[in-house]
Amino acid sequence: MAERTILDRSRKRVAEIRAERTLQDWVIDLGPFVLLFLLVVGFSIASPNFFTVSNLVDNVLRNSTILLLVSLAGTFPILQQSIDLSIESMVGITGVIAAILISDYQLGVLALPVAVLAGTFFGALNGVVFAKLKIPSFLVTLGSLSILSGSALLMTGGTSIPYRDPTVRWVSTGELVFSIPNIVIWGLLFYLLMTFIAFKTPFGRYCYALGENEEVANLSGVQVDRYKIGAFVVSGLLCGVAGALLAARTSSAAPGMGSGLLLQSIAAIVMGGTALTGGVGGPHRTLLGVLVIGVLANGMNLVGIQSFVQEIVLGFVVIIAVAMSMDRRKIDIVK
Amino acid sequence: MSGDLSTADQGQETVGSDAPRLTVESISKSFRNVDALSDVSLSIETGEVVGLVGENGAGKSTLLKLLTGIHQPDSGRIVLDGEPIRIDGPRDAAHQGIAIVKQEQDVVPNLTGYENLYLDQIPDFARFGIVDSGRMRSKAEQVTEQLGIELDLSAPVSSYSFTERQMLEVSKAFSESIDTDHPIILLDEPTAGLDEDGRELLFDRINELRDRASFVFVSHELDEVLDVSDRIYVLKDGVLVDEVDASEADEPTLQRAMVGRETADEYYRTGRQRSLSQGSDVALRADGLSVADSLDDISFSVREGEIFGVVGVEGCGKSALGRALCGVDPPDAGVVQVHGEELRPESLSRMVEAGIGYVPKDRKAEGLLLYQPLTMNVTLPSIGTDRTSHSLGGLGSLLTLIDSEKERGMAAESVEQLDIRTPGLDSLVYQLSGGNQQKVVLAKWLQRQSDVLVMDNVTRGIDVAAKEEVYRVCRDLAEDGVSMVFIGDELPEVIGMSNRIGVMKKGHLVDVVDAPAQDKPTEEELIEMMI
Repeated sequence: MAERTILDRSRKRVAEIRAERTLQDWVIDLGPFVLLFLLVVGFSIASPNFFTVSNLVDNVLRNSTILLLVSLAGTFPILQQSIDLSIESMVGITGVIAAILISDYQLGVLALPVAVLAGTFFGALNGVVFAKLKIPSFLVTLGSLSILSGSALLMTGGTSIPYRDPTVRWVSTGELVFSIPNIVIWGLLFYLLMTFIAFKTPFGRYCYALGENEEVANLSGVQVDRYKIGAFVVSGLLCGVAGALLAARTSSAAPGMGSGLLLQSIAAIVMGGTALTGGVGGPHRTLLGVLVIGVLANGMNLVGIQSFVQEIVLGFVVIIAVAMSMDRRKIDIVK
Repeated sequence: MSGDLSTADQGQETVGSDAPRLTVESISKSFRNVDALSDVSLSIETGEVVGLVGENGAGKSTLLKLLTGIHQPDSGRIVLDGEPIRIDGPRDAAHQGIAIVKQEQDVVPNLTGYENLYLDQIPDFARFGIVDSGRMRSKAEQVTEQLGIELDLSAPVSSYSFTERQMLEVSKAFSESIDTDHPIILLDEPTAGLDEDGRELLFDRINELRDRASFVFVSHELDEVLDVSDRIYVLKDGVLVDEVDASEADEPTLQRAMVGRETADEYYRTGRQRSLSQGSDVALRADGLSVADSLDDISFSVREGEIFGVVGVEGCGKSALGRALCGVDPPDAGVVQVHGEELRPESLSRMVEAGIGYVPKDRKAEGLLLYQPLTMNVTLPSIGTDRTSHSLGGLGSLLTLIDSEKERGMAAESVEQLDIRTPGLDSLVYQLSGGNQQKVVLAKWLQRQSDVLVMDNVTRGIDVAAKEEVYRVCRDLAEDGVSMVFIGDELPEVIGMSNRIGVMKKGHLVDVVDAPAQDKPTEEELIEMMI
């Protein structure tokens, strides 16, 4: 008798839990796929040039790679329920560093890893100030956003730095594999690497734990500060990669070349399924958001929607994506 | 079963002379096809204290939510003074005379006591948009004075003790329903987190206010319910299974009714308590632990397989001791020896390396990643150790990669070992019942192979059956040689479980009392030392 009630009760519990999967859960899981599909179908009908190999590879993928790298960068802090607002200026300054090293110091391809290192260093600074001085990450990175963009302007005098170096350019625009631009390959490699890190390494696991509840992680013996800094190091590193590749692709670098990436990347991350409330989603999902934004931008161009309107659309997309993905079980009050 | 009850109802007209103040008539409520309450009827007389007991999920909270209008019943009705009423939410309930003192304290710490008391009515105290604080304060003072509750209402609530906050909640419930003649105050686990003094104060107030109010008292602590109530209703799986006169009932009867089966006479399985010879190895030794303002020169040792209880009134430093031992709040002075290895507890991760595990007081805020899968919770402390990693040969020292197969194996092992009731290894832990959640917290440390567990109120907020399960697990662990520092607010529990009990008072360890299975100290003996 007793055993039957236990069995009944656990059956009841299972039924309850199934029922507890809300519409929102489904929207978060499947939403980006559905949205991407609808956009692709819609634009294919609206413009004959959309669904062609040259448009999809050369325009959509190539143009999305920088956004992908920057969005992957932003994913880790957001997964931890922090945020890195400095990514735009991080891309700008690392690109400028690369361009100066190539044009003024003839460092050639070597300039690219140096730029990546510089990004990693800036990211580490962000992380240390955030974790050790216990200043909210949005404030620290808002500050460094200004510091880094100011520094980049100072280094360049506010102008663009052009250079000529075919090898450097090849790193980004060459076609090592089939006729896929190298930059897309880079993006794919880092995407796979970051997904691997998120799922297979202690760092990745702790990002989820910290995002869900830092105190629980702390009281489980996790050295919380180390991993909080880690997220910003990863973020800086990937922004460095993005800056270097962007400088390589355009054979020049300007302080403001990262502008607009912050909002787009937050939209991509959140739409992919990494909520600003932390602990859910991950870099693997960010790709979906990036593709949605990439297809949206490309499609709107082809259909002839002017860029000012595109900006308005993007703003709406961000707010709607955040609204749909916030895990309201976890938060009662938003400020 | 409800048939039995209606006859019982008729026999029960001793307390109030008039018709019942409040009756609930065959009320039912279900959520997504799960019956939370089915056909429940009960009554509350004027001036009566009615106890309401049941395991977690028995329907107590649902009933309270129906009475305060948070939910509406699917069928049945609520009758107040002979008139069927509809309740449109907590404020409406209060206006009709039903107010609730909730389990969680709803206070805003940076506001004063009187501001908190009238938080939702502050606009009513404003004239031309300016708040008349003086009037609010004097009205608040009247309320507490009438109730005989002493509080410094002008001080910010952050300076209140836990007990004072609870008394403020009680005052608030009264103030909300003050316009009604004879309010019904619902007390939802009002003693959770209160120390002995606080409880006594609360019970005093309840007894004093009987002529002015009726109470519904919901608690897991059966002795308290028996103490305070006139009558007790027992809920089980949403059905009212028993109604007893408090003077004729005792704890075992109530437990049996709640759980629906015979509970062991030896609730704490004292028969399984190990008798530890002096020769057993010392697993944990604290030497001169001090933390400014909370701990002063604490030294004691715990042997392998021993359960070392720690008791004391609120603020005595027993929680601080747990946190200091584990390096959560590193002590200013003193050392800890774990299996003979001497350490300064400067960080939890260091102490975990040495074999310590920490079970915090608040499992939801401190112990569990509520919205993550069971597996991830169980393995969290072990991530990065060999137990969860791929064996990569020489590479392993450079790169630790999580082996999800191993992780699932660990989780499955814990589910089996601790009998965790879960639909699956991937279930999010917020979906589990309180007792099973607490087992997950224990599993975290057992899988980390910690063999010295520092547990702060390990059975807090879980029901009788789940507590019993946790006690069983503790006994199993002790048999396996796990040592436990068992910090507790519930004296009977600590007495029942411990081999020895350390008594704390104002940051000092004033005595260590032997508690062998055959010769347990009494609560009174311990209380004497605590105060």
